[in-house]
Amino acid sequence: MPSLSSKVAVVTGGRGGIGQAICARFAREGARVFAADLGQGSAPLPEGVTFQTLDVTDEASVAGLGAAVEAEAGKLDILVNAAGIAIEKTVEETSLADWNKIFAVNVTGTFLVSKIGLPLLRKAGGGSIVNFGSYDGFIADPGLAAYCATKGAVHALTRAMACDHGPQGIRVNAVCPGFIDTPMLQSFFRDAGNIESLKQQVRDIHPMRRYGTPDDVAGLVAWLASDEAVYASGQLWVLDGGLTAQVQQMRL
Amino acid sequence: MSGRLAGKRAVITGGSRGIGRAVVERFLEEGASVVTCGRGARPADLPDAVGYRSLSIADPQQVADLAAWALDRLGGVDVLMNNAGIQLEKRLTESSDEDWDSLMGVNAKGVFVCCRAFIPIMAADGGGSIVNVGSTSALVADGTLALYNASKAFVHGLTRSIAADHGAEGIRCNAIAPGWIMTEMADSAFDLAQDPGAAKRDALRRHPVGRFGEGRDIAAMALWLASDESAFASGQIYVVDGGLLSVSPLQPGFF
Repeated sequence: MPSLSSKVAVVTGGRGGIGQAICARFAREGARVFAADLGQGSAPLPEGVTFQTLDVTDEASVAGLGAAVEAEAGKLDILVNAAGIAIEKTVEETSLADWNKIFAVNVTGTFLVSKIGLPLLRKAGGGSIVNFGSYDGFIADPGLAAYCATKGAVHALTRAMACDHGPQGIRVNAVCPGFIDTPMLQSFFRDAGNIESLKQQVRDIHPMRRYGTPDDVAGLVAWLASDEAVYASGQLWVLDGGLTAQVQQMRL
Repeated sequence: MSGRLAGKRAVITGGSRGIGRAVVERFLEEGASVVTCGRGARPADLPDAVGYRSLSIADPQQVADLAAWALDRLGGVDVLMNNAGIQLEKRLTESSDEDWDSLMGVNAKGVFVCCRAFIPIMAADGGGSIVNVGSTSALVADGTLALYNASKAFVHGLTRSIAADHGAEGIRCNAIAPGWIMTEMADSAFDLAQDPGAAKRDALRRHPVGRFGEGRDIAAMALWLASDESAFASGQIYVVDGGLLSVSPLQPGFF
């Protein structure tokens, strides 16, 4: 039996690598899905998924999303804040404009969309918010300073929202993916020289000997969104193939 | 057979009652073949389809026998859930050597000998998922549960080691850290309070979701970890506590 029958879901960044997998999974589980993103892109929309233009950094655009969901569905059961960007720079290389931009998308976007989503979630009698943290919110990758900081902010916001809105029946969690095979990861490989050797090195440092797929992430998000997870709230769910369970050491 | 664990063969320790029993029943509903064990005799109301062995989990020979019996009965093992555990309401200075042996025997050695017995069986068949039951008590200390808290920290540490060492054999290993789950074990902890009713009301208000957990809440996470849905999840401690640990312990609004 589909686990999300009669649920209404909004997925921001819904046309990105991981967002598309989440939308497709939600639709398969019987949900009505609004895939919200800057542009629709060329990939076909799965049945049950509607595209909604959204700039998460713009309050008016976010309000437009809320109004559209209210008009078309009258409520919201699931909000996934998956819109996010990365900037591959150290603090010294990061301009103030870079810093403001990544915080605007990753942090302010999560704040603004949640702020609009909460009244709609209350209309449904409660629901589930899934934010996108990262294992980078716990331990740092080199050259991703502002990105790591945004993810730490999302982790703290996740706990704060779980605390404030739990009594209204709203659960709030964050998924914290490790290396997931997305355009973001491929561009990281491309920028770093010998692609094949780097890909192999990345595989080898994972206990599971592979990196994750968008479907792996969608599986966890679908669980957190479903009523299966009714007692799960305020947590940061690391999904990384064992990467951060293991101390990285010299190859002997 | 449909269900999210169709074709999976699962061994769950401590399945007579409490969380373990909820997991046994959920796994069965989802199409798994299930074997469980406990200290006592087979519970009269355990579903007929479930294989049951009475044993001491800290005894390596009895666990080796369980592994051989489970392999013979199920034809292989895809999921091992180390759920068997006991609790002891004592501070360290009141804990005897016998207390150490019995508590660490079940909560720590039991997990060790079960993993040692079952990992080769799982690896021989392409791998599988180990689900340990840790505790929020291993992350923040519960009062007067000194050895219990420490035993669960052992489980969390072992979980990461197994993930690191046996990942390449296709074995994933994670722990669930339940918060306050309403079992006989939790009720006995409230009985220690000067005013058990007030203690319970206070504890309830510290849970953002407004209630204590139930066995089925943990069974839902165990199901996900046992299934192929969680194929990239390994080495983690997943807290399922109704939000308890995400909230500051100091809440002047309560007083």
